[in-house]
This record gives sequence, C-alpha cells and structure tokens, in this order.
Amino acid sequence: MFSHTSRKTFPHYKCLHEHYANYNVASLSNKQRLIENTFLEEGITFTVYGDNQGTERIFPFDLIPRIIPQKEWQLIEEGLTQRLIALNLFLHDIYHEGQIIKDQVIPESVVKTAAHYRPEMQGVKVSRDIYIQICGTDLIRDDAGNYLCLEDNARCPSGVSYLLENREAMKRAFPNLYSQYRVKPVDNYPDLLLKTLQHLSPRQGHGPVCVLLTPGAYNSAYFEHTFLARKMGIEIVEGRDLIVLDAYVYMRTTKGLEQVDVIYRRLDDDFLDPLCFREDSMLGVSGLMEAYMKGNVALANAVGTGVADDKVIYAYVPEIIKYYLDQEPILQNVPTYLAWREKDRSYILSHLDSLVVKSANESGGYGMLMGPCATKKELQNFAKKIENEPRNFIAQPVISLSRHPTICEDLSIEGRHVDLRPFVLYGDSIEIISGGLTRVALNKDSLIVNSSQGGGSKDTWVLND
Amino acid sequence: MLSRVANSLYWLSRYLERAENLARLVEVNRYESLDSTDPNPWLPLLYTTCTEKIFRESKEQDVGMFISFSEDNPDSIRECVAHARENARMVRDQISEEIWRDLNRFHLFIRSEDAVELWQNQPETFHRRTIEFCMLLSGLIHATVLHDEGWHFMQIGKLIERADKTTRVLDMLAYYQGIAPRAKLASALKSCSAFNAFQAEYRSRISLDNAMSFLLFSASFPRSVRFCIQQLDYHLHAVSGSPIGSYTNEAERITGSTLAQLNFSSSSNILQVGYHDYIDSLQKQFNEIGQQVFDTYILLPLEIRSNTNSETRRRQNDHQRQQQQ
Repeated sequence: MFSHTSRKTFPHYKCLHEHYANYNVASLSNKQRLIENTFLEEGITFTVYGDNQGTERIFPFDLIPRIIPQKEWQLIEEGLTQRLIALNLFLHDIYHEGQIIKDQVIPESVVKTAAHYRPEMQGVKVSRDIYIQICGTDLIRDDAGNYLCLEDNARCPSGVSYLLENREAMKRAFPNLYSQYRVKPVDNYPDLLLKTLQHLSPRQGHGPVCVLLTPGAYNSAYFEHTFLARKMGIEIVEGRDLIVLDAYVYMRTTKGLEQVDVIYRRLDDDFLDPLCFREDSMLGVSGLMEAYMKGNVALANAVGTGVADDKVIYAYVPEIIKYYLDQEPILQNVPTYLAWREKDRSYILSHLDSLVVKSANESGGYGMLMGPCATKKELQNFAKKIENEPRNFIAQPVISLSRHPTICEDLSIEGRHVDLRPFVLYGDSIEIISGGLTRVALNKDSLIVNSSQGGGSKDTWVLND
Repeated sequence: MLSRVANSLYWLSRYLERAENLARLVEVNRYESLDSTDPNPWLPLLYTTCTEKIFRESKEQDVGMFISFSEDNPDSIRECVAHARENARMVRDQISEEIWRDLNRFHLFIRSEDAVELWQNQPETFHRRTIEFCMLLSGLIHATVLHDEGWHFMQIGKLIERADKTTRVLDMLAYYQGIAPRAKLASALKSCSAFNAFQAEYRSRISLDNAMSFLLFSASFPRSVRFCIQQLDYHLHAVSGSPIGSYTNEAERITGSTLAQLNFSSSSNILQVGYHDYIDSLQKQFNEIGQQVFDTYILLPLEIRSNTNSETRRRQNDHQRQQQQ
C-alpha cells in the first residue's frame, strides 16, 4: 500500500486509504465480527489436525484488501502461464523419453528420488497430455517489489473457496468502496474448473460425468470440496462411493451403478488405490489405477505431478523453462541452495543461522528451520539431518516478504507479511482467475502464512484499468 | 442419487426427529416431576429411550444433563443435533443453504455454555427452543428442497423415527398395566403433542384404551402410528416408482402388511395379545423396515456384494448401531 522508499501511498491505494480513514476502530471491528460470525454459521471452516476435538475453525479474515494494478497482474499472468506450460512439458518428458535427463539438464538421480515420483506412470498416456490441470503457485514479493515464485503446488492446491468467499464478504461489507474500484470478478472460477475437467473426458460426445473425490468430512479442506462440487453441480464422492469393474469406474447410486469419466481428486496419490499405492488406504478405490492407466477414466491432477513439488526440482524450474521453451523465466525463483551439491552444502552448513532450510517434500510450513530465529540446539540438529540426508534439504536466504496493512488483534492497523496464491487452470487453454488468495501472517514479524500456523487471508483485487 | 447421500439424508432427518421427540418427552417429564413424590422420577425416561445401561456406566450423575447434553449418551439432544449436522455436512451440496445454516447455527448454540445455562435456569424455554428449531428444520426441508428422491428418503427417516417414538411412549403406559393414572395418560399424550387433538376427538373420555387407540390408530393425527406408516408406505413407493398396494422390495412388503394390520385393528385386538407384546412387535417391524430400506438402497447391488465384503459389513454395523438407539 505504501512505497517502501518514499513512504507515500501508491496511487491505486489512495481511494482505499481515504475510505478506511473514515472508519473508527469500533465500526471496523464490528464489521469484522459480523463477517467472522457469518463464516462460522455458514460453516466456512477448516479442520485443525492434531487437535483431538477435530475442531473446525474459520480461516481468519482481514478486512483490508490487497490491490494489484492491471499491469502488475499481467506480468504475473504471463509468468504463471509460462511456468505451467514448461512444468507440463517437463512431466510429460520425464514420464516418457526423459530427454531432459539425457541432455544432462537435470540428473536422473534427482528425478527418480523425488518422493512423489511415480514409476507406475512411466509411459502412461494421460488425457490430453496435460498433467497439472489445477495449479496454485505461491508468490512472494522481495524488497525491490519483484514477484518471486516460492512453490508451485502441482498436486491438490487448496484455498480457492476462501478466495471466493472472501470476495463475497468484502462485497457485502464494503459495497461502496468496492464499486469505486473496477475490480475484476472472480466468480467464474467454478465454471472454468468444470470446463477444464470436462475437457479431459475419455468419453467425448457423451455428456461427461465428472465427480469430486474427497477424503471425507474430516479432511481439513472438506468445506472447500463441498463448496466446489456444489458450485460446479457435480457429485462429491468418497472412495467408498466408487467401485471399479473391468477397469471402468462407477459410482454407487440408489438406482444402481453409474459410470464416471473424470475425477477431480482432492486426495494424494498415495491414497488413491490400495492395490497400487498404500495398501492401508481406506480412502481410495481398489482398481482405480488400472482404469486410469487404461484411459477409461481421467484424473485431475494426473498421478505423479508431485515431482514438480519437490523443492530440489523447483530449483531447476528456471532451467526447465529455458530448456523446453527457449525463453527467459518471467517470474524468478527464490535463490535456492541444494544440499546434495557439495559446494552448496558447505555453504548451507556454514551459514545455517542466516538461511531458511526446508525439507524437499514437506508442505504447510512443516519440517523447516528459520535460521535467524533458531536456537543453537535446533541448528545443530538440522545440520546433522542435512549431513545425513542431503537430498532432502534445500536452503534459501530469508526473504522478507512484503508487508501489507492489516487489522491486528488489538485493532490497531499494522504491516503484516503476505504472500499470494493465484489459481491457474490448464484445459483447452490456460486460464488464471483474476485475483488470488492473499495469505497473511497475523503474528507480528512472523513470516509463516499457513492457515495451520496462525495465518489468515485477505481479499485480492485485481483492477480493470 | 449416491447411496451414501441417500443414507445421510435419511439420518439427517431421522436424528432431527429424534431430538425433537426427546425434547418433548423430557419437558413433559420434567414438568410432571415437579409434583412427583417418586424419588426417581426420571427412571421411566431412561427406560423409554433405552439408555438405562449407558447411564449407569456413564460418569454423568445428573439424569437431566445426561439426556440433554452428555457426550456419553449417543442419544442426548446435543448428540442428536451433532449427528444431524454431521450428516448434513456430508451432503451440503444436496441440501439448501437455509437448512445448512439453521442447522449449523443451532448446533453451535447447543454446544455452547449458553445452552447449558438456559437449560438450568429456564428448562422449559430450552426444550421449547429445541422443538421449535426441529420444526423449523422440518419446514425448511418441506419448503426449500426439491421433493425428489432425496426428499423422500428424508421423509422415510423421519416417519420411521416418529412411529417408533410414539410406540415408546405407549410402552411407558403399558408399564402401568391398565391402571395408568389420568395424569400419566395426559402426559403421554402431551409427549406426542397429542393432547389437544385427543380432546377434540374424545372430549374428556380420557382412558388408557382411548389414549392407546388414538396414538395407534387415528387416521388423521400426524403422530399416530397408523398415520406415520401410511405416509411411509407412500414415500417408499415414490422412491421405487411401484404402485401403492403392490410391492417390489421387502421394505414395501413389511410396511404394507403393518399398515393393513393397523388399518383393521382395534383396542380389543391389543388386549388379546397384551399391550407390551403388541407394541414390541410393532417396534420390531419398524426396525425391520429400516433395515430393508438400507439393504435395498444403500448397500451394493446384489451382484457385486461379494466383492467388497468389508465395506458392506462396515455399513451394516453402522446402520444397526444407529438404529438401535
């Protein structure tokens, strides 16, 4: 909202700044309470794991929206599109000829040891040759105001329902301010998503039957699953609602069995099919992988996209873009040191207290070390882990995420760190919903925006100008 | 419609009906116990709801708390609402916003300290609020969703529960072996919201025979067993599409035969069999109907049942556990 150097309000925030100056603390907190109550009553909640009550909480919502001017957004769109095309080419390549490995851009050992690499997918043709249909890339901004890509989230990115609900809430709470800006709408997302799914159907010509596969009502993102299914008008199913017969997938209805063409699965690869992956999975469907590999049913996202989420692979994305597209990356990565490279490792170990160290395959803010805030003991423990399993760790300099005015617990307004998760769909063409989920670290000085660890969210307005 | 969804809709409305009946039963009992000299005025209530054993094993000392709020009691009002809400959560995409919102709101209320406080200070208000809430939901179910297959499943769940609860109230009367005091008869009728309706038909001729006849055989009182079974028969046929008077599955057959029996019985028939046994056999039939609905629509079609035994067994166990409550 304010310039880092001159402390002036950015022009696109001027109107908002004036508008908020008219509110006193009480009226703002009133609005906030009202919205939070609505969220709770409508059950717009997520479940916190490790809490024995299975408590449902609302995702804390901040009233001050983030505004992104059109020009800035255009750059983001171009960057995300480029990234997604390259990642898809990469996934297709590694599951087929492996040209990028033969050309020694990426070592084979790195690809094959990625935790989510699926050897079963080798040589399998996926519908329309698209692997990542739904992508939720995390972006941050550095000191210079550049958007950097932090993670790609190519498996089952969540959060889009909060994005849509946040917009509803803002339109209700600040109709006047909203209408003064020409904000791009976001409510076309469910339609776009449905089109993306239908595009995959192996039974073209026949009205495709799409379903959303959820792990069930106790999953943390269950609200989102029902929300999306309802908006798209498709069935939400659990593993036990599906059955595979002769390599075709059916759902069990009161009128008998109905064939399913496309599954938007919000379930990790591991749990999809107990015959193929984890035997103890109660959430999956026996025989699903056989039906999938025979092309009788399509999955979105494809199986095996998790390779792209490996943080070591992430470090190679700029090279992946150059390799497949012969272009310079539009969105830069955060500089990343790979512990398995000897030179990098000694750098990491000697600068541990000034770096962020992350496990290659954890998410949600878990399994990481914030060097500057760590105790001596924690540093030592991590150093040992890195030496034992260099393949599993990467390190990045601490990027001080950009901050955005946010209403704090004591109702003062202060800067809090934010990131941005736009949602990208890859169907007939690539579509990006105009906006994204701006996540905010509500605790002072915290850099962790994950909802499971004290994060909240804001509405994100992309302007039409 | 997905079998699981049909199952959730069925239990959603069945649990709401259960909560409503429970609240009414507790309120009538509570009011009556104010004048009672019985040291254990709540005992018949535990007996009616089949929760004596669980109460004895529970940490909860207070019967009232046990029936209204205890987590140990899978059938407490609070738990019933929680179950209803849980089922609603699983089929959120199939029900209206209004149903979900009001159900969730009441769930949040009944879990709060405010609810316990209200119950302690103004129990009548608490019970009335619960009943009103269930009626609101019943109205919303009637007025905001398509009257299609899913709706029929909701009605089926509700009607089986309602018929069952009416027989349980009757069973409480059977306990007095034909010499139930007038006050007990009145409270039994009130427990089924039947007092005024009864008076309209029988004036002041309140007797065990008349009360029984009314609650079992009335053709026009919506909580009489006969009325419920007649409606149930209609909804079952609406789901299967077969004409009334015939049957295509066991649920329809047993319902039809139970209905015929109710249509052509009188209180003298009951006397021959004995009150308790008569009611007992009705309850068994309701259980069987519930089981058959489940077997027909929720379990896998016959030809593939053998493939997924564990899932079939799991579903069956779940169903029986809930039904027995």
